[in-house]
Amino acid sequence: MAYYVDRNVKMTWWERTYIPEILRGMMITSRHFFRNIFGFVPFFLGKKKDREIFTVYYPEETMQFPIAYRGRPVLALNEDNRPNCVACGLCEIACPAYCIDIIPGENSGKQNEVERYPVKFTIDYAVCIFCGFCEEACPEEAIFMSDQYDITMLDRKKMKYDMEQLLVPVSELKDRMDFCRKMYGKWNY
Amino acid sequence: MWIDLAITMVKIIFILTVTVGFFAPVLTWVERKQSAMMQDRVGANRADIFGFTALGLFHIIADALKMFTKEDFIPQGANRALHTLAPIIALIPAILTFAVVPFGGQYTLWGKEVNLVISDLDVGLLFVFAIASIATYGYVVAGWSSNNNWSLLGAMRTASQMISYEVTMGLTVIGVLMVYGSMQLTQIGAAQEDFWRWGFFLQPVGFVMFFAASIAENKRVPFDAPEAESELVAGYFTEYSGLKFGMFFMAEFIEMVTIGAIMTILFFGAWHLPFLTTADLLSMFDFLGDNGANLVVMLIHVGVFFGKVTFFIFVQMVIRWTLPRFRYDQIMKLGWKILLPLSLANIVVTGIIILALN
Repeated sequence: MAYYVDRNVKMTWWERTYIPEILRGMMITSRHFFRNIFGFVPFFLGKKKDREIFTVYYPEETMQFPIAYRGRPVLALNEDNRPNCVACGLCEIACPAYCIDIIPGENSGKQNEVERYPVKFTIDYAVCIFCGFCEEACPEEAIFMSDQYDITMLDRKKMKYDMEQLLVPVSELKDRMDFCRKMYGKWNY
Repeated sequence: MWIDLAITMVKIIFILTVTVGFFAPVLTWVERKQSAMMQDRVGANRADIFGFTALGLFHIIADALKMFTKEDFIPQGANRALHTLAPIIALIPAILTFAVVPFGGQYTLWGKEVNLVISDLDVGLLFVFAIASIATYGYVVAGWSSNNNWSLLGAMRTASQMISYEVTMGLTVIGVLMVYGSMQLTQIGAAQEDFWRWGFFLQPVGFVMFFAASIAENKRVPFDAPEAESELVAGYFTEYSGLKFGMFFMAEFIEMVTIGAIMTILFFGAWHLPFLTTADLLSMFDFLGDNGANLVVMLIHVGVFFGKVTFFIFVQMVIRWTLPRFRYDQIMKLGWKILLPLSLANIVVTGIIILALN
């Protein structure tokens, strides 16, 4: 829908004298200033209460992200202490940036044993675009987007995380798991 | 003779300490912090010494250190001599104007007449304008010598804007001169002892126009078309770094103090407290003896003067963080089509009223 902005706003005579309107604007900004400067004192004492300022002191405080936020992808480590991943390679194929690299391994196929498992599972966060396609592609609830976003390294090679660094206990991913079930709705729970 | 020289030296050192040593650096902090407060942010508060941040005051030191240690960059094809000279031409006039700015009245201390102005020129106001307009060369030369299109555009805008608004500024001041009958800043200040004879009441239109024109002279928002970050990168000082950039920066902040001081003297009763004449104050501190009373009154007056200057700086900051930038044609329209006729009309009306009252 095209949206027409009326640039020929008719101003009243009072508004066109300009000075009163400037004063009104200055009143608004000064009001904020004086309100905040009195709320400033608690900050000086180290408290962050009774303040209208919404700044988050980043490294000390972090924001609570909504559950739909896509941070870095992590692997789920289930209750049996092994990854949910079966090394099917679907996420590897779904990945538009080709940052996932899986080397699968196979078990003997006995009863009560996973047949396939990832021997190596690396995600290169320097390449990852945080799109969440891997999570959507995964049929085993093995890969999830976490809420961590500050992956900073001095060396690009260190951005390549291997399986030990990627694994996160499934209990920490409960919320995201529920969200994915609702969102992608392919597991029919 | 030596005593006079010593007094003058003390005054010069005092003014330099207050403007260059105190106001200019503190204003960089005030600007950041006040804008933050006005926009519900926190502002600079990270620079710390042993864990103490002092509300971000150490950012001044951090900034100074940064400017001193940064690379002094001169772009290829730039005119090296003029590129180096430009920030000096811009900074010196800003400091020099304070030579004629009185920051207090006349006091008798131990049999010595102390006039709290470095140089009590008969043409004080003209001197201020003459010196202030030299700064234009600094900005234009800076833009031209940088060999950069942004800089050149900024310099052209500076030139046209400053010349346009100097006309208005000069004409608005004529109203004040007609009212007080003097160009000597000390006399204009002394004439405003009575609260109802402050320039603000005698020249209300002139006050508003002078304020607008002086902000335009200083090239601050809403008249910051010469440096316009969103259009011209940084305008005339795009190619400057390190302390040369710092000099432009300092010139701007010192000019803010100058504007505050000139406004205070011309329109806000200079160093006088409302409803309290100097004689009243002197009798109030009579118990301290003649010298003591004079000394206390002098300190009060200096404090009052710089308090008023601080108030005007606050107002300038509020304006700077409230209003959006004018478009270039709007600046020219405001200068030539609105402020110039208004200031001429102001002179005519002032003249008629003075004639009628006599």
